[in-house]
Amino acid sequence: MTAKDRRHQQVIKKIRQIMTDINNEIMTYQRMPVLVVPKIGYDNTVWSDEKKVLTIGTKTVQISPDSTKKIPTFAQYLVMANAIRQLLDEEMESTIRGMYYATLSTVGDEKNKQKFWNSQENSDDAIKALELLTGVPREEFSVTSKPKGMLSGPITLRVGGDLIDCNLGSRATSQLIPTNVRDLEIVEVKADFVMVVEKDTVLNNIRKSGFMQKYNAILMTGSGEPDRATRMMVKTLNEEWKKPVVIFADADPWGLGIALRYKIGSESLSYDSERLVTPNAQVLGMMFSDIYNYSIPEVARLAATEEDINRAFDMKKKPWLQEKQWQKELDLFLQNKEKCELDAFFKHGFKYLAENDLPQKLRESGLI
Amino acid sequence: MKSKVALKPKDSSIRSRHSSTNILQEDKRRLIRYDRKAESEFFVDNSALAGFAGERILYMSVRELIENSLDSCETNRILPSISVSLKLIDPINDMWCISCTDNGVGIPAEKVPAAVCSFLTSGKYVEKQQRGLFGVGLKMIAAFSSKDTDHPLRVWSKSPDEGTEYYFELRTDIGTNKPITLIKKALKETESSMRGECGFKIEAILRARLSPITKNKIYDYINQTSVVNPYSHLVFETDEGKVVFNRNTEILPKPAIEVLPHPADMDLKTLKKAIINFMNQKTTLQGVLCNRFQKLSSDKAREIIGLAGIETKPADKYDEHELIRVVNICKQTKFQAPNTDHLSPIGEEILTAGMTSENVIVTRKDPNPTEQSRAQLSLKALKPALTAYSSKSGIINNRPTIVECGIAYGGDINSFKLYRFANKIPLLYDEGSDVAREVMTEVEINKMGISKKEVKEQFSNQESKSDRAIELLPIHIFFHICSTKIPYKTAGKESIASEPELKKYMKSCLTDLYRKVSAQIRRELRVKEAENRLRLYNHYIPLIINAISGSIRINSKSLYDTFSKLAEKHINGEMSDNHAFKKIISTPNTTESKGLTMLEGEGLERNPDFINKNIKGTKASSKNKVKYESNKRRSKKKVLTNDQITMDSFNKSKRKEK
Repeated sequence: MTAKDRRHQQVIKKIRQIMTDINNEIMTYQRMPVLVVPKIGYDNTVWSDEKKVLTIGTKTVQISPDSTKKIPTFAQYLVMANAIRQLLDEEMESTIRGMYYATLSTVGDEKNKQKFWNSQENSDDAIKALELLTGVPREEFSVTSKPKGMLSGPITLRVGGDLIDCNLGSRATSQLIPTNVRDLEIVEVKADFVMVVEKDTVLNNIRKSGFMQKYNAILMTGSGEPDRATRMMVKTLNEEWKKPVVIFADADPWGLGIALRYKIGSESLSYDSERLVTPNAQVLGMMFSDIYNYSIPEVARLAATEEDINRAFDMKKKPWLQEKQWQKELDLFLQNKEKCELDAFFKHGFKYLAENDLPQKLRESGLI
Repeated sequence: MKSKVALKPKDSSIRSRHSSTNILQEDKRRLIRYDRKAESEFFVDNSALAGFAGERILYMSVRELIENSLDSCETNRILPSISVSLKLIDPINDMWCISCTDNGVGIPAEKVPAAVCSFLTSGKYVEKQQRGLFGVGLKMIAAFSSKDTDHPLRVWSKSPDEGTEYYFELRTDIGTNKPITLIKKALKETESSMRGECGFKIEAILRARLSPITKNKIYDYINQTSVVNPYSHLVFETDEGKVVFNRNTEILPKPAIEVLPHPADMDLKTLKKAIINFMNQKTTLQGVLCNRFQKLSSDKAREIIGLAGIETKPADKYDEHELIRVVNICKQTKFQAPNTDHLSPIGEEILTAGMTSENVIVTRKDPNPTEQSRAQLSLKALKPALTAYSSKSGIINNRPTIVECGIAYGGDINSFKLYRFANKIPLLYDEGSDVAREVMTEVEINKMGISKKEVKEQFSNQESKSDRAIELLPIHIFFHICSTKIPYKTAGKESIASEPELKKYMKSCLTDLYRKVSAQIRRELRVKEAENRLRLYNHYIPLIINAISGSIRINSKSLYDTFSKLAEKHINGEMSDNHAFKKIISTPNTTESKGLTMLEGEGLERNPDFINKNIKGTKASSKNKVKYESNKRRSKKKVLTNDQITMDSFNKSKRKEK
C-alpha cells in the first residue's frame, strides 16, 4: 500500500465509522442520530492572543433528523460523505463543483419536487462540515477547487512529476498555484523574501517592472480572497523556508481584510488556522495613511460606501485589531471616508508603484 | 338617454339608410341634424354599455338569463329550478343556441313581447335589491338575435295568475324598439312543457365566438352562482356535457321588499315624482313627504316645510324654486338611518350551505380520444374542512349596505381563491382593482393566529407565484356586498371601487372572520405540519439509507423500516425525554489536527492514532454526556437561530470576495 492509499483508507475508515454509528443509533438504540459539528462563523471564532491567530471556539451545532429543518441537512451530509468515500475508492479527484454535480438530485414526488441542493453553496457547506466531522482537511478528500493563486519568482516547484521554474525569464506570465497541495512540492527557493499582493493586475504590473530580479523576491497573489492552497504556500515559505513575507492590499476595509486572511486567518476557516495562517507575515500596505503620505491625487481616491464604513466600525471592535497602529488607521478612514486601490499609484506613472512606493515601504520595514 | 345628438359622420351615414337620403346630396355643406334614435338601436350600437362586447356575448347572455330566472323565482319565494343550455349548432357561421328554463313567475302573456324585446320596459325599476337593475339583458339577447340571424326568439311563459302556458315567436324591430310577434298561442294541457304552476323558458340563436378563456369564465360563473344560491337546482349543459348542481338547502334568503326613498337621498326628481304619484286634490306637501319617504314623521315634515319657508298650498302647485328649498333642507337635516328591508343578504345559513357544498366543474379529456370523444364535464365536490361566516351592515353614502364574508378552508380546496359578489352576482373580471383585493392585502394574516413564516414554511411550493402569505393557503374567501347602489368602478360592473367606508366595513368583517377561524386554522396547520414532516421523512430517508448502505454493509430493508417507524413515532410526539440523544461524533480538537503539512507526509503518521483515539474517546464519554445532551436539546431553538446568523454572515463574507 502506498502512502497515498493509506491516507485514503484512513479517510474512508472515518466515513464508515460515522455511518456505523448512525446505523447503530437507529437499529440498536432506536433513537434519532445526531451529528455534532463545531459551529463555523464569527460567533464561534476566538482570537488567540498568544498565537496571534483566529481559532475555533467550543460552540457546536447538532444536525439530526429529529428536527424538520435539519432533515435535509442531515441527509446532505451523509450523501456527501458517501460521495467522498466513492471518490476515494475510485482513486479519482474532483473539484467542489464536481462534487455538487455528482450528488445532485431531486427529492420528493411529482407534487412536491425539491432540489437536493439549493445551490453549490450548500454542497460546499456539507464538505466543510465533513472536514470538521472527520478532522481531515478537504485536500485529503481529493476534493479541490479552481486554482486562483499565482506566483512568480526564483522558486522551483514540482507539480505532479514536472519540475517548474517559476523564475520566468520572459516575464510573460505567472504560475498558478495548484489547489491540490498533495501534488505540489517546493524544490528550491532562491528568493530573499515573499511579497503577496491583493490582485493579479498589480502582480502583473510589478512583474513587468523587473522588481523581482532587482530585489530577488517571490511575488504572489490570491486574486482577491486567497484560497487555501495560496495561504498554505505562504505559510510554508515563511515557516519551512524561513522567508520573510510582506503583504500589500488595497487601502479599503476589504483589502485590509484580505491582508489579514494571510496573517491571522478568517472566521469562516478558523477551524483550519493551524494549517493556513502565517502569523509572522507583515502587512505593509496600502495603509489609509499612505493615501495622504504618498499624496494620491483626489481623482484617484474613491468615496467609501456605507458598507465600507460599517465594516470598518466592525473591524475597530475586533480583538485582533486593537493595536494602536490599526486603530489609528481605521480612525483615519472613518474620518476621511476615502479609500484607494493599489492601482491608484499608476496615476504617478506606471512604474511608480514598483520603483518608488514598494521599495520605500520595504526599506522602512528593514527588509531591504 | 332618450334622444341622441348625432355629431359624428359615422352616425349620420347609418341614419341615412332609413331616413331621407337626399339631404346630403343636395346640400354640400354638411348640416348637423338632430335625430331621435330608438332605444334598441342605441343599445345595439353601444352594446358595450351593457357588457355585450365581442367575446363576452355568450358569457353575458348566460349570465343575464340566469340572473333573470333567479330574480323571477325569488319574487314569489319559489325554490329555483333552472336549466341552462349552450350549444354550438352551426360551427361554420358561429351560430349558438342558448336556452334557459326556470320555474319562476313568468310574464303575463300580454306583457311578454314588450318585456322581451323593448328596451327600457322592465319590472326592475323599483327601489329594492335585485340582481338586474336596468332590465336590459333579455332585450340585448333579443336584439342581437334579430340583428345577426333570421331565427325568431322562442319564448314559453306561464304566469301563476293565468295558469295557461303561452308560446311566442318574437323578433325585435331594432329601428323602432318595438316587438314583432310572429306567433302567439296558448298551449293546451297536452302541449304544455311546464309541470309547475308557473315558469318561463327562452331559446335564442346568437352569432358569437367562444374562446377557451371565456368558456372558463362561463363555467366559473356557474360555479360561483351555485355557491351563493345553494337553494336552487341548477342544470348546465354544453356540447362538452351536462352538470347538475343539486339543491343543498330549502332555506330561501329573506326577500327584498320595495321601500320608499330616504329623505337624505332626495332630489328634485324624486320629490316631483313623489308628488305626481301621490297626488289627489287635497294632498298637502306635508302629506306627500311623510307618506312617500321613509323615516319622515308628520311632525318632521312640518318642521322641514317650515324651515324651507314656503306657503301652504296643494302639493302640485309648488314650482321648482320652492321645491328645491325643501330638498336643500332635507340634505341638511339628520334622519334616522334608512331601513334595510329592501336588501336581501345571503345570510349565514345559506352561505354556509353554499360553501360546504361547493363544487367545481371539471373538464376531463377522454383518455382514448376517438372521433366522437369530447371533453366531458363533471362536478368535483370540494368538501372544505371548515367554514365560517361574518357580516356587518352600515350606511355608506346614505345607502344601507350589508357586507358579508365567508371562509372555506381545506378539504379538497387546494389553492387560494377570492370570490366577489355584488347583490348575489358573481364578479369575475378585473379582480386586481377590486376593493376586496385591497382588503385582503391589508388585513394581516396573523389575525388568524398564524404567522406568515409558518404559512410559507408549510405551504409554499414552486408553483405558488404570490408571496402573499394568505394566497398560499388552501382557502376560499367570499365577499358579498349588497346595496341598491354598489360603487362599481366601471360601467362594465366587474369591480367595486375602494370607498373608504366600504373598505372599513369589509376589513372589520374579514378581521372578525380571521379571529373566528384562528383556533381551527392553527389545528389544521399543525396537521399539515405533521403531514409535511412525514413527507420530508419519506423523501429523505431513502437518500440517507442509500448513503449509509453505499459505505457500509447493512440490511437496508430493516434499517429503512426501523428508521421510518422511528420517524413516525417522532412525529406523533411519542418521543419522551427518556430517549435521550447521544452525541455520535465529537470533533477533533483543532490543536491536535495539525500535522497535514503541505509538502511532506510526516504529520500523517500521527493521524490514524489521533482519529482512533478521538472516536474512542467520544464513545467512552458519551454515556456521561447523555444527560447533558438532553438538557441542551431544550435550548435547541436558540442554537438554531444562532446557526442561521452564522451561516448568513458566512455567506455575506463570501459575496464580498472580490
